[in-house]
Amino acid sequence: MKGIFSVLVENHDGVLSQISGLFARRGFNIDSLVVGETEQRDVSSMTIVSTGDQRTIDQIEKHLNKKPDVIKVRRLEENRSVSMEMMLIKVGCTPANRSTLIEICSIMEGRIMHVSPRSMMIEVHGTPERISDFIEMVRSYGIIEMQRTGVISLGRS
Amino acid sequence: MNGAEAMVKCLELEGIKTIFGYPGVAIAPFYDAVGKSSVRHILVRQEQAAGHAANGYARISRKTQVCVTSSGPGATNLITALATAYADSIPLVAITGQVDSHLVGRDVFQEADIRGATESFVKYSYLVRNADDIPHIMKEAFYIASTGRKGPVLIDIPHDIQLAEMNKPFAYPESVEMRGYKPNHKINAQQMNKVIEAIRKAKKPLICAGGGVILGHGEPEVREFCEKNRVPLVSTIMGIGVLPKNHSMYFGMLGNNGKPYANRAVMSSDLLIIVGARIADRAVPKPESLEKQVSVIHIDIDSAEIGKVLGPTLPLVGDVKEIFTMLNEVDLPKCDENWIGTLEQIKHSTVDQRKWSENKVNPMELVKVLSEKMDPDAIYVADVGQNQLWSADNYVMKEGRFLTSGGMGTMGYSIPAAFGAKTCAPDKQVVAVCGDGSFQMSMYELGTIAVNKTPLKILVMKNRYLGLVREHQEKAFGSRYSGVELFDYPHYDKVAEAYDMGYYHCDSNETMPEEIDRFLQHDGAAIMVCEIDASNNVI
Repeated sequence: MKGIFSVLVENHDGVLSQISGLFARRGFNIDSLVVGETEQRDVSSMTIVSTGDQRTIDQIEKHLNKKPDVIKVRRLEENRSVSMEMMLIKVGCTPANRSTLIEICSIMEGRIMHVSPRSMMIEVHGTPERISDFIEMVRSYGIIEMQRTGVISLGRS
Repeated sequence: MNGAEAMVKCLELEGIKTIFGYPGVAIAPFYDAVGKSSVRHILVRQEQAAGHAANGYARISRKTQVCVTSSGPGATNLITALATAYADSIPLVAITGQVDSHLVGRDVFQEADIRGATESFVKYSYLVRNADDIPHIMKEAFYIASTGRKGPVLIDIPHDIQLAEMNKPFAYPESVEMRGYKPNHKINAQQMNKVIEAIRKAKKPLICAGGGVILGHGEPEVREFCEKNRVPLVSTIMGIGVLPKNHSMYFGMLGNNGKPYANRAVMSSDLLIIVGARIADRAVPKPESLEKQVSVIHIDIDSAEIGKVLGPTLPLVGDVKEIFTMLNEVDLPKCDENWIGTLEQIKHSTVDQRKWSENKVNPMELVKVLSEKMDPDAIYVADVGQNQLWSADNYVMKEGRFLTSGGMGTMGYSIPAAFGAKTCAPDKQVVAVCGDGSFQMSMYELGTIAVNKTPLKILVMKNRYLGLVREHQEKAFGSRYSGVELFDYPHYDKVAEAYDMGYYHCDSNETMPEEIDRFLQHDGAAIMVCEIDASNNVI
């Protein structure tokens, strides 16, 4: 199963390494980890997505809670939270197939960020599934490089 | 007031009387401040011993204690001691000197990233960046170390911050407010009721007491519970001492190296109440089969312990003293006497199959005789290896304490930890028991003991081998012994003489009791070497 954790932490040095170290040491999986500032300057927010059995996901929550620098841990249910991810992807394209690529972008709301004679860079955001779908749609053009931000997530209520 | 003076002032306000350490340039301002204070500093011979001595002191005083080292190698030498304290949840505050702030990160002389290196062995750590932060950092460090599941906290302080004058007047905080650390779990009433119901329904309940009972000072309450409701108890190695050995409700230490009848008791019970124990592999080798056969109540102050190893249990998170005080107020039916009878029967019908060599001293008898002869409230510190397991198996617990490095299994623990224990309780008899391997790992500490004229007793079980590894090689590798022989060195009589210590020697069961009498009655520190035949095994 997937575990999505929204974690508020003290915004000072070494906290990220404490959290990633905890996952490494106990053999917990990190699918993605995103850190950023919050509305409070001294608080950072992390969204951590992990996969494991129920016991592992429970253990992750408990171990996160043990860290004195962790202020709050929220386990987000996929259907009761909003999750978003962003991707930049550069795919090969020539004048001959450019228009079909533009068509995919317009159907799937990909934003064209840069075009060169042999490639096109596109920005996509949305649910992780949507981004994966987009990758599948453009795979045949040849992916030159790509980068995903990882998921950020907030509970609905 | 500079940073170093502020730190020492905080130690005084925390009631710290004695600290253990080893100086260096990076911690020199702190040492200058200690010298001018009421805090007594004891110089050890290697930093690891400072950590173990503070550990022994903390376990006897039942309060957080302090060790201090310099930067770089001084700090890295402390890591094993921190890992040892962390594994056994011993409250320590470790202070390490660091290079000047502006040099941090430049790989200068004696710089080590000790916070990074100890990340997984401390409960929390600090790098002090401003002398004005010292009072609240010190207050928090003692608070974190001593509350919830206890453990070591590290404070790394750069040399220049120790020298820096404080800008604000010194004020020690009255209390701690940390938004991410709330260790005082309110006991969940619903869970408590489920626990009471489960105990009420159980026909064959059994308590498994771990080190957490002792750390939470819950021995009197657990004992009262056992006596009042006639509930039997087994212990882990860290839980030795929750009940005296001859107590009618005590059925020994469980685990690989425990009493077979204690393990049979666990498997025969219908409700196992685990209290303050980690269910580690040596105590419960097959948690899968345990959880299939027995229902389990798991009581621990650390909610992350619940479900870490064992599957579905009835969890109760909270302080052992508080929980058992509540349980003792409940009227529970007395346990079925047939259950106690069954356990008695299991105990008496379990035959010890082990063979002991006729030569030299029988280690099982040695531990029995030694511990029977020791004062009722004496402190016995076992090292790691065969000596530890023979000790745990045969120690006659009265009203004293049994200390050992149970979680980490750190060789060389006994001598410095016993020194720390004796420093804390000078009026109590303290005996360190080690093997010839573990003795040599901390032999350097004899200097500390001699200089401080600490009348510590050290008993060495000498079999010329790293016995427990040898035993493993015998069983798992067809007796192909590799790298385990220690031969006949050192000459213990000469070592004792070099440090002005008494020396006793014993190589037969006949002379052993008398020799132990003379050893225990020796005025001052003494070493006793007992020759053990290497063929004696633990299992």
